[in-house]
Amino acid sequence: MTRRKAPDLRVRIGSLELANPVMPASGCFGPELGAIVDLNRLGAMVTKTVFAGPRSGNPAHRLDESYGGMLNSVGIPSDGAAGFVRQLLPHYREWRPPTIVSLGGLSEEEFFVAAEQLAGVDGIAAFEVNVSCPNLEAGGHELGAVPAAVERVIRGVVDRVQVPVIAKLTPNVTSIADIARAAEAGGASAVTAINAVLGLAVDARTRQAKIGTTTGGLTGPAIKPIALRCVWQAARAVQIPVIGVGGIATVDDVIEFLLAGATAVQLGTATFTHPDTMVRIIDGLAARLAADGVASVSELTGALKVGPARHDLGGVLDASAPETGSPVPHG
Amino acid sequence: MGARPLPNVRLVKLPPAGPLAPHVAPPLLVEAPVVGNVPVARDYLRLTLEAPGIAASAAPGQFVMLTIAREGELAPVLPRPMAIYGIDRAAGTIDVVYRIVGAGTRRMAGWLPGERMTTVGPLGRGFTIPRNARSILVFGRGIGSCSITTLVREATGLGVEVTVVLSARDRDALIGAETCCEAGASVIEVVDSDGSSDPVRLARLLGHAGHTHDAYYVCGSHRMLELAARLAHHPVRGSTATHAEVQVSLEAHMACGLGYCHGCAAGRPGLPAETPLVCRDGPVFRWARTERQDAALADALAVGSDVAAGAASAPETAP
Repeated sequence: MTRRKAPDLRVRIGSLELANPVMPASGCFGPELGAIVDLNRLGAMVTKTVFAGPRSGNPAHRLDESYGGMLNSVGIPSDGAAGFVRQLLPHYREWRPPTIVSLGGLSEEEFFVAAEQLAGVDGIAAFEVNVSCPNLEAGGHELGAVPAAVERVIRGVVDRVQVPVIAKLTPNVTSIADIARAAEAGGASAVTAINAVLGLAVDARTRQAKIGTTTGGLTGPAIKPIALRCVWQAARAVQIPVIGVGGIATVDDVIEFLLAGATAVQLGTATFTHPDTMVRIIDGLAARLAADGVASVSELTGALKVGPARHDLGGVLDASAPETGSPVPHG
Repeated sequence: MGARPLPNVRLVKLPPAGPLAPHVAPPLLVEAPVVGNVPVARDYLRLTLEAPGIAASAAPGQFVMLTIAREGELAPVLPRPMAIYGIDRAAGTIDVVYRIVGAGTRRMAGWLPGERMTTVGPLGRGFTIPRNARSILVFGRGIGSCSITTLVREATGLGVEVTVVLSARDRDALIGAETCCEAGASVIEVVDSDGSSDPVRLARLLGHAGHTHDAYYVCGSHRMLELAARLAHHPVRGSTATHAEVQVSLEAHMACGLGYCHGCAAGRPGLPAETPLVCRDGPVFRWARTERQDAALADALAVGSDVAAGAASAPETAP
């Protein structure tokens, strides 16, 4: 057997080069995970969304498990930009992978205030603008559904910072392609698709909505087909890289998202299930690419085959054959 | 149940340093082999996991996150927070007692010896015993009884006189009595079915014993927390404090157990900051009062909120 070179897992997101395409999804990660997982293995780290000022999260319950996934409505508690830089960012700096700071706001102006507070801060490699949280009292989600607003917010953040800006998109829109194009027009270096799918959980016995804010965001394997579809649509709409997220839990899932058009991927819920999933996937991806003779992970991006699949009976079954006749000749 | 604040009773974090600071060791992620998984009461099973690292550093009142999905399975997606029921450092095992209440715990009941289950722990800040304590009173109700057994063993080991009140809906659902008796505690069992768990009756019973305690501990019942707070309202021996220590272990839905998901807190839009996390700042909190709350105490603590004075264990609903 010939020895193959180890596959190249490096990917580029704008001017940012990542050692591999696997990173956590915002909200499902913190340096606290470093207590049990080697975070130096990750392609990047993504923070919980940081707002300009401190804010509390939502009332209980914030979580509810559902079939193949979970609903959450945490509501993005934040120490505010200053508090983040003082208390949390130093813990990110203890690890080597670049830190992507998720940026939040309830209004366009609030995004800009947060961007100004964090611009130029050492240890921030990129921003991911969260114009898609389904669980905010106002703003985030509605704003992310309007292409013109997304373009304004992205441009405003791009104008205020010196590092790549990524737009995180909501799936709860009619055309995610339109939103992706707006983000690209605003100067985004990449788009992340998707944020949680808006959902509702009901307790049939108590007749009570299970989540404190009534609706919440559905995540986990249950939303993977929706996320794949969104990634595929977004990737066809823009020239910038797409970061795929939504229900990824295995190496196969990662490959599926790459084929659909993703350049990199994020994992969220799967880290709750098995805390070391991201590291296992990085190891498994390298082994899989080596076994398949793929030299570089970027070869897979957008390599999805579409249209009628060829199968063994191709050309044998004849739709034009008369129904009365036998379509397959008897020997 | 979610962790909402009690009116008149404020729950605060245990101090980070000093005699009442909890012991906190770095958590471990292990694939722990199942040693045993046997019924101990109606709908209750005791799971024994081989986890020497966790057994070596776990402290009373701490918990573990148990992943329900087996290796290679993607769902159920959420691990379950489970109180550590027993620690056997010599054998390198920990015990968890759980009640079959939903899809996750139903799956757990099918775990077989030799299977390896993803386990993270020890987690959280557990119970602490005041240094001068000579006697303590411990309340456990239902599944909440599973959070107090490690405390009972620790206290009796220190020579502290321990009285345990175990409460449940009926006799079949009582849990932990044998464990507490073996540890050397006096155990009082009360149930709803004969009225003995009624707080007024219980208060009379405990009051007639003519005995005050240096600390009170509660898990699994809001009404017992009120009762503990009332009983604790007396001068403390050898101290200038006017009330005894009261600690309560809370339950909440959790996803990470480490403090980054914030699923276990309860806030309100408009609050200037996030409220404490049950996983990282608790699950054990101290009961604290202000002067105004003292006045309210005179009204026999007529509290009508719905704080989750429960165990950090299996807060799941049947889907």
